[in-house]
Amino acid sequence: MTAVSSTTLPATRSFRRTFARLRFLRSAWQRWFLWVLLAVLVLALLVTVVWLAGRHEVEQVQTALDRDTADAVSDLRSGLQRNAQSLRASQAAGLDREHWPLEAAALLREHREWLRIEWRDAALRPLGAVDTPYRRRVFDESSRSVDQSDVALACAAARKLGAPAYSPSHYVPFVPSGGLEVMELCLPVDGGGYLVATYSLRDTLIELVAPTLTRGQEVAFTEADGTRLVAVGAARRVGTRVFTSQQLIDLPGTTVMLRVDGWRGAPDLFPNLLTALVTAISIALVSVLVLLARDTRRRLRAERDLADALAFRKAMEDSVITGLRARDLQGRITYVNPAFCAMVGFSAEELLDHAGEAPYWPTELAHEYRRRQAARLAGGVPPREGYESVFMRKDGTRFPVLIFEAPLINAQRAQTGWMSASIDISEQRRIEELSRASQERLQASARLATVGEMASLLSHELTQPLAAIASYASGSLNLLQGAGQAQGSAAGEVAMAVRRIAEQADRAGQVIRSVHDFVRRRDRTREAVAPQALLDAVLPLVRLQARKLGVRIEVALEDHLPQALCDRTLVEQVLLNLARNGMQAMDLPDLNERVLRLRVARARAVGESNEAPDKADVRRWLEFSVADVGCGISEEVAARLFTPFFTTRPDGMGLGLSLCRTVVEQHGGALIFEPQRPRGTVFRFTLPAA
Amino acid sequence: MQPLIDALIFIVDDDASVREALAWLLRSRRLVSEHFASAEAFEQRLAEEPLADQPHCLLLDVRMPGTSGLVLFDRLAERGLLDVMPVIFLTGHADVPTAVDAVKRGAFDFCEKPFSDNALVDRIEHALGASLRAIEAQRARRLLMHRVEELTEREREVMRRVVEGLPNKLIAEQLSISVRTVEVHRARVFEKMEVKSAVELANLLRGL
Repeated sequence: MTAVSSTTLPATRSFRRTFARLRFLRSAWQRWFLWVLLAVLVLALLVTVVWLAGRHEVEQVQTALDRDTADAVSDLRSGLQRNAQSLRASQAAGLDREHWPLEAAALLREHREWLRIEWRDAALRPLGAVDTPYRRRVFDESSRSVDQSDVALACAAARKLGAPAYSPSHYVPFVPSGGLEVMELCLPVDGGGYLVATYSLRDTLIELVAPTLTRGQEVAFTEADGTRLVAVGAARRVGTRVFTSQQLIDLPGTTVMLRVDGWRGAPDLFPNLLTALVTAISIALVSVLVLLARDTRRRLRAERDLADALAFRKAMEDSVITGLRARDLQGRITYVNPAFCAMVGFSAEELLDHAGEAPYWPTELAHEYRRRQAARLAGGVPPREGYESVFMRKDGTRFPVLIFEAPLINAQRAQTGWMSASIDISEQRRIEELSRASQERLQASARLATVGEMASLLSHELTQPLAAIASYASGSLNLLQGAGQAQGSAAGEVAMAVRRIAEQADRAGQVIRSVHDFVRRRDRTREAVAPQALLDAVLPLVRLQARKLGVRIEVALEDHLPQALCDRTLVEQVLLNLARNGMQAMDLPDLNERVLRLRVARARAVGESNEAPDKADVRRWLEFSVADVGCGISEEVAARLFTPFFTTRPDGMGLGLSLCRTVVEQHGGALIFEPQRPRGTVFRFTLPAA
Repeated sequence: MQPLIDALIFIVDDDASVREALAWLLRSRRLVSEHFASAEAFEQRLAEEPLADQPHCLLLDVRMPGTSGLVLFDRLAERGLLDVMPVIFLTGHADVPTAVDAVKRGAFDFCEKPFSDNALVDRIEHALGASLRAIEAQRARRLLMHRVEELTEREREVMRRVVEGLPNKLIAEQLSISVRTVEVHRARVFEKMEVKSAVELANLLRGL
């Protein structure tokens, strides 16, 4: 069995441990899962909303840009068309060498995008040319000859179409540096000639595209392959998001692309109220979540603390031996602790909610308690030091209690009742009673012993003179008889008187004897008492005084002591007297180590020497000794120590030691004292062993 | 008022009136006494002057300051003086058990104070009688010892065998002497020991 259990036990334990850990994990998971899920969902929602909002905004921007671009393209196209028509209109009245330059100059003043207007014959030979007044002269006549290819291409296309046509863009370099991207417009005129207008692409963009478009955006002409030809507008595009829209402008004879680059900066993240609102709500939500989590954690901790505090209080209430009882203002018991239940013997259920008389009230005292309760309910304040009362147990026995009461104040500082602590003092009472009884008994026996000692002393003092009187009387009678009756009746009278004296002396002796007998009647009450019992009887009283004087008591008894044959009360008195004397001898201000040693041992009779034991005395003896470390006994005091009525104390009667010796001698023992080394005195006395 | 009896009575009591009263009482019965106030004084007297060859008796108070009567009694017992000097304790009522105990240990008697009549003196006379007998017995023994010492070595050997009850013939054999010689020795022993028969001799020697 043990082997099995020893092998299964660790496995079980580890399983249990794992299980406990799993359970802990599960509970932790359950507790945190929802929170994590919530946080993830909120985060996802937030990201999604922000992303959607961003994308929506991008789409909107792109759409607007596309629309703007399309508008610009149509503007351009219609502008170019209008220009072509203006050009055609200038030659409608016919061309002549005189008027044409004027008309061409007027046109150029009107159309800033044009650099030059040429009039060429059918073989493309220049007939006339006017340059724009807005610029420095760009072209020289030599470069604008017949074989100018771009012009030729445009005019070929124009002839073929019978309508204005454009040449592809080409670059015109300036003499010192730089150059211009230009495009030729060729318009066939009636009579086989051509009007050629040279567009500056850059000025075309400026003039023909709405100025709003070029604000904050870059507008450019590009070739079909993306090569940028000219651009106008803002060129600030570093670190910004760029939106691009490009559209093809299909012109007769050539094709160019219009490209618009727009960009947006940082404010893109919150482009509109919705996103901002959603974001704000999300932030608020997260904050609320965090606050909620913190609050929950605090609440949990408070709950745990509260549970701990409750358990602590419960343990405290259960562990005290003081009975606790709470009553509301109507006198109903609202709470009792286990100690109170144990004290009165009722269960808590029996005690709670008892209005009026509590079950532990003794019936004969109930009216008094009711009065007390009424006084308390009326607002009387119970005494701070408590009061004594009597409770009744379930079995009907009464016992005294000490009750302390205090008002019960709730959190709103209103009194809701009374809390009282009750202490069962019956044991204390019993001990007090016992101690008082033993003290009274010892005092009574002390009085009796004192009276006895007085009688003994009196009788001793009186018997001496009486013995002398008797002796003289007897001697006188003897002499009278020896002298004979010669003297007659006078001698006889004297003899009779002397006989009377002797008789009266004898009578006095009898009276003393009878008094003595009366007092000492108990002399004959000898019983066998264990030495321990003798000491136990006086030790409580001795300790009482020892505590007052700061004396330590040491008791030493030999093992297996026989019982002492003695009058218990008297011997206790002797022990008490000797102990008290010893302690008083140590009541010196400069004495720190105060020890009183009580010892009981087997012994020979006191006064016997060991070298020559008295064979006649075969009794066994017990020696009691009381040793102090006090002031000792001076020679002159020692000489008179046992003398009756001799005392060194102002309030002493001088009978104590005399009495002790009498008692001990009555028992056949002896009482002696001797100085103790290094200081103090030891009193020894012997008692016969049983 | 001449002392009647040739005896000496010692009184040891711390109370002077008692001592003197007792001495006076004894004198009224023609008895000589010496009194002492303490045990120490009495012991000093004993040391200075040994007891004379006359009856003695000691009246001893039990309770005295200093050496108590009982202690003195024990010392006297140790010295073997109780026979020639019987002790009568004078006790107060309270000391009766002590005195009874002392009597058991060899005291002659005790007398409880206050003693009213001549009973005490009668007890003293008894004690003196006992003392006298003891003295006489001592004296007789000393005489006997003296006589035995006067015998020769051979006479003592013969006497021992006579007392054992051996016939002369056997004694002669044991001592390797003739019967006749034994008879001579025997006659001389009887003569020296002042006896007339072997039985008388045996009785005499039994006390030794």
